[in-house]
Amino acid sequence: MITVEQLHKQYGGTPIIQDVTFSVNAGEILGFLGPNGAGKTTTMRILTGYLPATSGTALVDGADVHKTPMAVRRKIGYLPETPPLYPEMTVEGFLTFVARIKGIAAGDRHSQVESAIRRCNLEEKRHSLIRKLSKGFRQRVGIAQAIVHDPPVIILDEPTVGLDPRQIIDVRNLIKSLAGDHTIILSAHILPEVSMTCDRITIINRGRIVATNTPSQLVAQLQGGSGYEVEVEGPLETARSQLQQLAGVRSVESLPPRVNGLHRLMVNLSGGEAAGPQLAHTVVQAGLRLHEMRRVQASLEDVFLQLTTSEVPAGEPVQRPALAATVAPPEVMANAPSRPTAPSGQSGWRSWFRRSGSASTHTSNDSTPVDSDQGGS
Amino acid sequence: MRTIFSNILAIYRKELQGYFASPFAYVVAGIFWLLSGVLFLRILQDVQNVAAINDQLGGGRSVDVPYEVLVGFLGWLAVLCLFLLPMLSMGLYTEERKLGTLELLATSPLTNWSVALGKLLGVLTFFLTMVLPLLIYEAIAITTTDPPLSWKLVALGHLGLLLMAAAILSLGMFVSTLTSSTILAAILTFALMAALLILNWVTQAVTGPVGAVLSHLSLLEHYGNLAQGVFELDSLVLLLSYTLLGLFLTAQSVDLFRYQRS
Repeated sequence: MITVEQLHKQYGGTPIIQDVTFSVNAGEILGFLGPNGAGKTTTMRILTGYLPATSGTALVDGADVHKTPMAVRRKIGYLPETPPLYPEMTVEGFLTFVARIKGIAAGDRHSQVESAIRRCNLEEKRHSLIRKLSKGFRQRVGIAQAIVHDPPVIILDEPTVGLDPRQIIDVRNLIKSLAGDHTIILSAHILPEVSMTCDRITIINRGRIVATNTPSQLVAQLQGGSGYEVEVEGPLETARSQLQQLAGVRSVESLPPRVNGLHRLMVNLSGGEAAGPQLAHTVVQAGLRLHEMRRVQASLEDVFLQLTTSEVPAGEPVQRPALAATVAPPEVMANAPSRPTAPSGQSGWRSWFRRSGSASTHTSNDSTPVDSDQGGS
Repeated sequence: MRTIFSNILAIYRKELQGYFASPFAYVVAGIFWLLSGVLFLRILQDVQNVAAINDQLGGGRSVDVPYEVLVGFLGWLAVLCLFLLPMLSMGLYTEERKLGTLELLATSPLTNWSVALGKLLGVLTFFLTMVLPLLIYEAIAITTTDPPLSWKLVALGHLGLLLMAAAILSLGMFVSTLTSSTILAAILTFALMAALLILNWVTQAVTGPVGAVLSHLSLLEHYGNLAQGVFELDSLVLLLSYTLLGLFLTAQSVDLFRYQRS
């Protein structure tokens, strides 16, 4: 449904995204994950035709984004980072306006607007001015405007950012209910968002894709993916060395005890083998009393952090080994010297033209100093 | 073609709705009505005084009161427009940028031209509703005279006013695409209007070929012709050209903004 090949984008010599290649199948939800400033928004804007790519191709349902922009625009529903709403319009009036500019025939307009209102649970607010709506409702109106023309492809840029937990669950369910009929790309800079809703996840960092896979596969591929936490009573030393020799065990660490007299061990497994039964057996054979044995699975957070924060990616690169293992580190190095000069160069006349909305969301995150001055995440 | 028309109509309706829902637009209209009313009264009194003095002197030169009033009034309206219309045009694109709705428009299947034209027609319609009440007292004052003023003259003058407003609004719309600050857009448009006014003064002061070229390009000069009842095709063409230029620059500028800065 969506095919993106070797997309590059740069502003004034600074690369924002490089060699971005991925594809999304029809009816699938793809999560686009990366720290702020990684190039998520830029990639999405290129897909929607809002920005031209410096090089590379992006096809939506077979239509080239750059060559046939109007055809692509008809097929896409897009929710930017800040929902594009007219505060002085009512919800219904706004959705009718969007249906008009999306080219919905007058006869179908009413039913389309109604169905968008129903899907996004906006019935009670249909006559309210958008100005008076809470953030959660505005976000829903934002999603409603993206689906009002029933597009085959929906692109959502951080649809749950700034919502309270209850609203986040609502939005997640809404997105899930859209899958199947629609192909969806959604971005987030935090993990639970994508791990809950997406069929596949693409992790992007510093403008490059570092991994693409299903959430469970990503976890499985992580180095030291899982292990067991064991709480035992008795002489430890013999058991420890026996455990160490078991097939599939990578290392055994001692953890600080929680209860006096009980030892806690962390047994890290190297492969995906089910070493649980042998482990329990060994412990009991060694004359230890087994109090607790708990499986510990690396979370997607670990995958994410490993792929996006370490200078040398430690994770088993998924699907695209070359990118993660060899290309990313030089890029990191290449970026380092130019870092101090970039912000000062950007703070001149360009800052006059910056949209305040996007600027504030970028500066709000201080954990990643990556390209926050470029206006695209 | 049909979709283009319906796109323009959609933008047009949205814009118009925006103006009629906005207190700011009413404030601008209120100021316009107040000042234009005062101007009309002053001009009417002045022309009548001049006519009365002429009659008393009996110099044989009679003053065509309704014509003088109309031409004087339209002239002053032009000056008023130079200062009030930037307030209507300043938000045309700056608001879209601030709200992020430019991204919605730019990712919807409609061209920049459709958006720009819809916006221009919207704001022009609002201006038309600002002018309509003036027609009432113009009509009262002018039709009571004997012989009455030719309606063609009146129509031509107001057509000129509308065309000039379209040109100013169109250029102001272009300026509003250059920045996301409404105030900055207003100031830049005022500066442009001041330049037009100064150009007009220069035109009147300079003679020779330079003066001729300048007067051909002067927006106010051509409007002045139409307001005085001089129908010249090149005046219409020039005013329309300014409007088209504004639309063209707007459409280009919106793309440039997207490609370079966002």
